[in-house]
Amino acid sequence: MVPRARAPGHVSGNPMTRRTPTTARATQRLAAPVHRRSRCSRGPVLVHGLLLAAAGGCSEALPTVQRGDLVRSGFATEVILEYGEFASGARVYGGYGRPSDLGAGFVAHDFGSRGGGGDGAQVGLEASSLLRFGRYPRSAQVLDTTGANVPDTVLTFLDGQLVMRFDTLSSVHNDRPVEIVAHALTEPWDGTTATWEYAIDSVGHRERWSVPGGGAVEEIGSATWDPETGDSIRIRVDSAWIAAWADTTDYSRGIRVSTSTPDVRLRVIAGVLRIDTRPSVNPDTIVKVPSSTENRTFIYAPVPRPPLKTLRVGGVPAWRTVMDLDVPSVLNGPDELCDVVGCPIEITADHVSYAALRFTTRPGVRSFAPSDTLPLDLRSVLAPDFLPKSPLGPSRSGPFGTLVPGEWFHPPAGEIVELAVTGLVRDLLRGETVDGDPVSNTIAVLSALEPLSVEYVSFDGPTSPAAPTLRIVLNFSLEDGT
Amino acid sequence: MRRAHGGGTGTLPVAALLAVALLQALAATAPASAQSFLGFRALGVPIRALDARATAMGNLGIGLARVEISSTDPAASAGLLFPTFGVTMQPSWGSFDMEADSGTSRTNRLPLLGIGYPVRSLGGVVTASLSGHLEQRWVAKRNSTVVLNEVEVDVEDSYRNDGGTSVVRLGWAQRIGSRLSLGVSAGSYLGRVERVFDRELDSLAVGGEVYTFREQYAWNYSGFLAAAGFNLDPHPVIHVAGAAEWSGTLRELPRDDAPGEGNYAIPVRFSAGATGRLSPRLSLSVSGAYQDWAASDGFLAGVTSGRKWSYGAGAELHLIDGDSRSLPVRFGYRRLAPPFRFESEDPVESIWSLGAGLNLVETENNRLGWLDLAFERGSRSSAPLNERYWRGTVTVGISRR
Repeated sequence: MVPRARAPGHVSGNPMTRRTPTTARATQRLAAPVHRRSRCSRGPVLVHGLLLAAAGGCSEALPTVQRGDLVRSGFATEVILEYGEFASGARVYGGYGRPSDLGAGFVAHDFGSRGGGGDGAQVGLEASSLLRFGRYPRSAQVLDTTGANVPDTVLTFLDGQLVMRFDTLSSVHNDRPVEIVAHALTEPWDGTTATWEYAIDSVGHRERWSVPGGGAVEEIGSATWDPETGDSIRIRVDSAWIAAWADTTDYSRGIRVSTSTPDVRLRVIAGVLRIDTRPSVNPDTIVKVPSSTENRTFIYAPVPRPPLKTLRVGGVPAWRTVMDLDVPSVLNGPDELCDVVGCPIEITADHVSYAALRFTTRPGVRSFAPSDTLPLDLRSVLAPDFLPKSPLGPSRSGPFGTLVPGEWFHPPAGEIVELAVTGLVRDLLRGETVDGDPVSNTIAVLSALEPLSVEYVSFDGPTSPAAPTLRIVLNFSLEDGT
Repeated sequence: MRRAHGGGTGTLPVAALLAVALLQALAATAPASAQSFLGFRALGVPIRALDARATAMGNLGIGLARVEISSTDPAASAGLLFPTFGVTMQPSWGSFDMEADSGTSRTNRLPLLGIGYPVRSLGGVVTASLSGHLEQRWVAKRNSTVVLNEVEVDVEDSYRNDGGTSVVRLGWAQRIGSRLSLGVSAGSYLGRVERVFDRELDSLAVGGEVYTFREQYAWNYSGFLAAAGFNLDPHPVIHVAGAAEWSGTLRELPRDDAPGEGNYAIPVRFSAGATGRLSPRLSLSVSGAYQDWAASDGFLAGVTSGRKWSYGAGAELHLIDGDSRSLPVRFGYRRLAPPFRFESEDPVESIWSLGAGLNLVETENNRLGWLDLAFERGSRSSAPLNERYWRGTVTVGISRR
């Protein structure tokens, strides 16, 4: 902006902060520079503005034409490397996470014993949810006899209702009603480590159930869940059990939820105990208050054994497939590559536009076969020497993983699952990450959320004809262009 | 007077203010550029290192009377009385069509920076300039498909050329008598060109996490050139000038692992021009240049143009002509012969120009502070390429006593 000449003595700026000169001397001092600005002296300021306007007045935009003969030629090809050409040491580790991480988990009865496919003999899956409720509410907001909403701390607990909610999409129920049974547990159990065989399975302390699957139990009630009518059931809990479970020092308290309907596997979303309460301020009213849940887990049998020849991902505790990569930097094929660029050809990170590990799906044991989409993840193993407890690098499959349809693991399977590893292969060929950090050549394939489900997936192992492969899309520029 | 034009405003001296402006302008502006597809198989299209006055008058940079700073007329600065600095800026807006394709472009450039410094003890003037020479800035794309994993994948190839050569010159202009001036200069080519090939595959068809393939190479330019010329005022109203510029081989040297090395022969350029003063306020200027690129070594066959002559003419009229200030208006026309073809047709570039100046302080034969503006409408053609552009030119010059 070109400053304008001002009258002598004129002072610009905020009048609240700029002091007005009161003496002739002060006026002269302020006015003098203004007097010196003759008309010509504004020239450089004008020039300054024009230069800036000219420089910033328009931004760069190169002329762009769609014309092939001006573009250098390019060549893209795809290379499939067999397992032995790029990887070694494929193995499976298990034991990551535990069922209690999944909450109420699953209920199942003789699931998967019928039907073909899978590795070895088919044994039906048995699974039950275990719930232990915490301290009952000490107060509740209730309407008194005058209609006012007041807190009441003198509550009388009567009976209650167990509400169970199921995942209608991932549950397998063969489109028929399912009988749900609630039993009261009578043996002390640990809400974090309980398994089908053990009520307590923590370090240095193991206690078996008297009977596998929850020990001696007493039936509370049952209900039939018809998937066509909703997603939840209610089972009445009588006042004796409500009174007994008020003792929070009793570690045997709890409910086992199971099913007596064969060949079903239901995923439990929530289990809540609602207690009927008589408030002291209005004894004629029944108020339902929810109880907190102290432990929520599930137990199941049989526990899958480690695979011998296949690769496995998922389950709870979770399985991970680990392998070491050694991507070759010199290629001698395929012919279509060698015919164009000549072989042997050295490839660099820049040549790799896309790379993906390809796994062939196998039909797993039906009792643990996925019934829903499974998100798979691939991460670098940062300290392979410390496996299976090595820390992992960030996800290379994005926050939601690579989604794999569950049907791909149903007979006859044989589908190809691609996990993109472009960035990793480029890092390996470069010898370091783009930031200059070291790169590990050991990778782990796992479920994106771990543990995610009792379901796991299987892939053909390195000794199989359908062993994992590495698909690489390579690009080259050719000299015959401009 | 001194304070007004050379001393400064307030506490900032003019030189400092101009230096700040220049630095800011340089920071805000890309390197000099001529965005054209001409010469895509050679060295691009020439940058005319002209100030706004020569541009407006259709001049080729030779034979214009009262020139303070010039990179093409070695003797032009001989009459400078005081150290003088000039900078020229040039925004442009272009469009092109090439058979079925068309598009637009925008750019800023700094085609000329120059300094003249009189050495009174020797009666001559030292000159230094940085000017544009040849440039290649364009992008071409191609869409195609490749079959990967039995899937047809869309591919977009992009090829970007960005860069060019500039010339830094150092010269001496000597006044001999009252009518004749001689000048010589020597310079060096500078600059680099970067070529980037990008190939992008359709990530949806490939499978995701697809990286763009990029091959990026750069080359540096080097070489030397020298020029000599004269200015003559045979009559008070006539000014003539001539110059010859010889250039050594322009070398294109690969940087890092870039392939290939280029050696290009740049032909001698002869230029001449004259200005006639028809009245105290009106003058006419004509100029021409000869440069034969046809036999130059180092280029692909059929790339160089057979046209050798460029010429231009224009007029300058002082609307206001005061003792120490004036306001001239100018117009002109140039017809140029770019050195490289697009395909097989010799290219032609024609430009109509219009401009004005504001001579803030001047003596009889010297401007001490000035601002010149020019506007051009130009076109280039070399079938099947047709390019058109609007171009503005701003030159600011200042002398310090």
